[in-house]
Amino acid sequence: MIKEAAAYWIALAHLPKWGHLKINNLIIKFFHENKISIEEFFQLGEKDWRGIYQLDEKQIFDLNKAKLELPGNAFLAESLFSQGFEIIPITSQDYSKTLKTNLKATHAPAVLYIKGNGKILSEKSVAIVGSRDASETALEFTDNIAQLASKEFKVVVSGFAKGVDKKALDSAIFYKGQSVIVLPQGIMTFASGFKNYYKQIIDGDVLVLSTFFPKAPWRTELAMARNPIIYGLANEIYVAESSEKGGTWSGVMDGLKKNRSIFVRKPEPGEKNANNILIQKGAIPVDINGQRLSEVYNAPLFDVISLVQESDADFFASEIRSVFNGKPLSAKEVILKLKLDWTTQKMNNYLKKIDFIETIKEKKGNLFKLKEATDKTQPTLF
Amino acid sequence: MTRQEAELILLRIFGIAKFHDEQWTAIERVLKGERVLLIEKTGFGKSLCFQFPATVFKGITIIFSPLIALMRDQVKKLNAKGVSARCINSEQTPEENSQIISEAKTGQVKILYIAPERQENSEWVEATSQMNISMVVVDEAHCISVWGHDFRPAFRRIINLIKLLPKGLPVLATTATATQKVERDIAQQIGGSISTIRGNLMRDNFKLFVVKVASEEEKFIWLGQYLNKLPGSGILYTGTRFDTEIYSKWFEYLNISSTAYNAGLDTDSRIAIENGLMTNQWKCIISTNALGMGIDKPDIRFIIHSQIPQSPIHYYQEIGRAGRDGNSANIILFYNPEDRKLPEAFIEGGRPSLKKYEKVILAVKSDLLGEWDLMRVTNMKQNQIRVIKADLIEQGIIREVMIGKSKKYEFIPGSPSLNTKVFDELRNSKLNDLESMIQYVGTEESRMKFLCDYLGDNSDRQFNNCDNTGEQKIGVSVTPEWSEKLQSFRENYFPELEVESKNSNMSNGVAASYYGVSNVGAALHRSKYEGGGDYADFLLKLVLKAFRKKFGQEKFDLIVYVPPTSSGDLVKNFATKISQVLKFPISHNLQKIRKTDQQKIFENSLLKSDNVNGAFTFTAPDEINGKSVLLIDDIFDSGATIKEIGKILTNFGASKIVPIVIARTVGGDLV
Repeated sequence: MIKEAAAYWIALAHLPKWGHLKINNLIIKFFHENKISIEEFFQLGEKDWRGIYQLDEKQIFDLNKAKLELPGNAFLAESLFSQGFEIIPITSQDYSKTLKTNLKATHAPAVLYIKGNGKILSEKSVAIVGSRDASETALEFTDNIAQLASKEFKVVVSGFAKGVDKKALDSAIFYKGQSVIVLPQGIMTFASGFKNYYKQIIDGDVLVLSTFFPKAPWRTELAMARNPIIYGLANEIYVAESSEKGGTWSGVMDGLKKNRSIFVRKPEPGEKNANNILIQKGAIPVDINGQRLSEVYNAPLFDVISLVQESDADFFASEIRSVFNGKPLSAKEVILKLKLDWTTQKMNNYLKKIDFIETIKEKKGNLFKLKEATDKTQPTLF
Repeated sequence: MTRQEAELILLRIFGIAKFHDEQWTAIERVLKGERVLLIEKTGFGKSLCFQFPATVFKGITIIFSPLIALMRDQVKKLNAKGVSARCINSEQTPEENSQIISEAKTGQVKILYIAPERQENSEWVEATSQMNISMVVVDEAHCISVWGHDFRPAFRRIINLIKLLPKGLPVLATTATATQKVERDIAQQIGGSISTIRGNLMRDNFKLFVVKVASEEEKFIWLGQYLNKLPGSGILYTGTRFDTEIYSKWFEYLNISSTAYNAGLDTDSRIAIENGLMTNQWKCIISTNALGMGIDKPDIRFIIHSQIPQSPIHYYQEIGRAGRDGNSANIILFYNPEDRKLPEAFIEGGRPSLKKYEKVILAVKSDLLGEWDLMRVTNMKQNQIRVIKADLIEQGIIREVMIGKSKKYEFIPGSPSLNTKVFDELRNSKLNDLESMIQYVGTEESRMKFLCDYLGDNSDRQFNNCDNTGEQKIGVSVTPEWSEKLQSFRENYFPELEVESKNSNMSNGVAASYYGVSNVGAALHRSKYEGGGDYADFLLKLVLKAFRKKFGQEKFDLIVYVPPTSSGDLVKNFATKISQVLKFPISHNLQKIRKTDQQKIFENSLLKSDNVNGAFTFTAPDEINGKSVLLIDDIFDSGATIKEIGKILTNFGASKIVPIVIARTVGGDLV
């Protein structure tokens, strides 16, 4: 039933510049509220799209364009299915519940493209992440976590990059565990991988997953966009090694923001990486075997901040977020809390530009507070 | 759009004033975005039912067709009418195909013909998402059904594609030949709300004859006597590729203008023959019935079968190409009771043993393999591997995947075990079909009615267009004069060895006989495997005769023979005798540098080729440099050994290498 709607799902999932939230809101509306199928939704005319779904002209234009692409998508879908790929829409029972819970409507992709044992998606899972050029110790840690996970029948989720990702996969295979490879590219461009992991895939031990247009080649942006999927697919996240920026870093920061439990390997003294900073930021330190360490690293926040470039907006944004405790603050108060060497004017201007900060105009001057979290206002997806 | 409006456009673009009613019924449904199965006889004008809507639709219409010749033909005609049509096929260069794909993407093509296999091509699939597709057509839709006469696995994917197409996109499936069983199967597979339009299949311009004979000789003699007397030009369908060759040589011997057409020919030759057919260059084209000659030639005046087809559908399909212009056409079927053995053998032997299926499944389970890998791993013939692959794909046990540009086969986890009941059902169904075909020979009723009934067209009409209903019966009279002619042809007919290639100095050679066709095979076997001593003298005489026929008084600088694997000095002694008679010096310096196995233990030519690759050298380079060489062996099968030696001798500087052998086997496995 869902298979026959594949062309429609491909069209909807890759609407240009819509973003996950807009697409998911539309799905919620037609599928959950109005209880019509995706085919029926596409068959509605512009009038209903405008009237019932309150789509604007640009959106209607996009949908009309997507509609013209449906026959072509059918050709693509046939090619996908014939080669053993599956398309799992977000409305399907087979869609990863872990991913849905972690990413919510804001970030959950509308379809997953997979090949391999789809049942893996409902197992308990562990993501192991880290740099492409990780140290020997980090790789040893990765191996330990993969071994532990495999022993406990947890699936190892990784991103098929060099270094930690590749080690996580190879170790999981070595310890006869199960793995998910989350691709930074379209699933049809992974021919060499399907050749190299043929045995593991047909034995049901490896699942390959992508959220991008099936023919999309590898791109840096896709690699970045793939990271939240790795974190989202996992119940537990282990960080082998992170530098102060890049995919691992922003992924962990993002995860911490979302209150995920993230386990970071406590580095040996003298190691050059940002693991300690992540621990400082709230990640849970673990030893080389993945055992929780009780000690808490108590460096002053000031040191941490000065380590980070202002340009690393992601990190800084989460710092800002952390000073608000439900109560509105003035720019000056924010500067004091963050122990920054900024003028009030600079902070004032800065805060006004941040999209998750709301400005409250008072007689004495502006106060700032966090906007209501969007997640809370989401209707329950599915 | 009303019929009136449509007919105005019809006149303007196609130069036709009116649709006939059934055409308009189909077109009207297509214009409304419906799915239609159209079963109409050849000459009805099925193509117009998609070509017309295609010119009205905004976007592109994609037509899946298995017949390249037909595609080429229709594209030519459409372009002549100013309708932008193209076809993509394996006979064009990748650059040509890419060019057409980019034209299609930018909306410059209205009608695009492609082979169903194109769906395996990743460039094509990627391009479709950028095309504005208005309609999908499946031509020769009977190829969808295993119960039809020409099931093609690639059509399985087309069915899956159609199931995925959005609602409201028109789909038209057309065929000229579908029994009611096949009709139901097609409709069920396409699914959704498909409607069927079925016309009458009666071809009243046909004159149907059956010629009952008691031997092959009678067929040769009748054709020799009467082929030139039949009006117009036409086609002779034979049972095997080997027969196309023999008949064409026989006609050549009699100075009857003809040419052989089969799947073994290269593209250029095929196109040349198709063009020649259109311009009536020959009286007769001799073709295997395995080959679909999708040619829109209005005036094919006769179609003769020297071998009984597998079923009445096969027969109806093949004769359907005659007399499209509505003028009279002679339809002649020869039948010798012996003839049923060939289709029977084909049906019974159509499927390899279960053990072989298991071997393939096991191989695919342990590794991702391509077709050649499978041939190597399993030591099976290519056609067996293909049958097994197709069945396993059909049953969902393996699937075909593209790794880069190469096709590989992968095991489907959790797939069902092999269902052999299906094979039995199919086999029984085919045997029943063959039985019906033999009933056609024996029937004393109207032959046309017999065919129409079989095809599910039960309309009640008068049929008096066959040798049971008014036409005179055909008999064969074998005169001594014609018997002698045939005898003399056979004694002077020597099979050609086709070995010419760009990367060696080999020229085509000759065999003294086919292995197994005469007493030659038995004589070879006696010497080779039963300790019968040197090859018999009559073989020597036959080889010399073949040499004279092919090469006349041509001189060769050197005789070289193929060194033995296990049959001792048989070939050496034989070559020595030839050298003595022809007075060409013999060389013993072609040597093996490693042990090889007997070629006959290898089932496919890939392994045969591996077996001899790099196995030979020539130990006296000066002796051969710049020389013309007569290369002698006893049996020519896949030709792998001869070709390998040809390569080596070319490398050593031989200027010309011509093989001559005692016997050539029939039907190597790789084409």
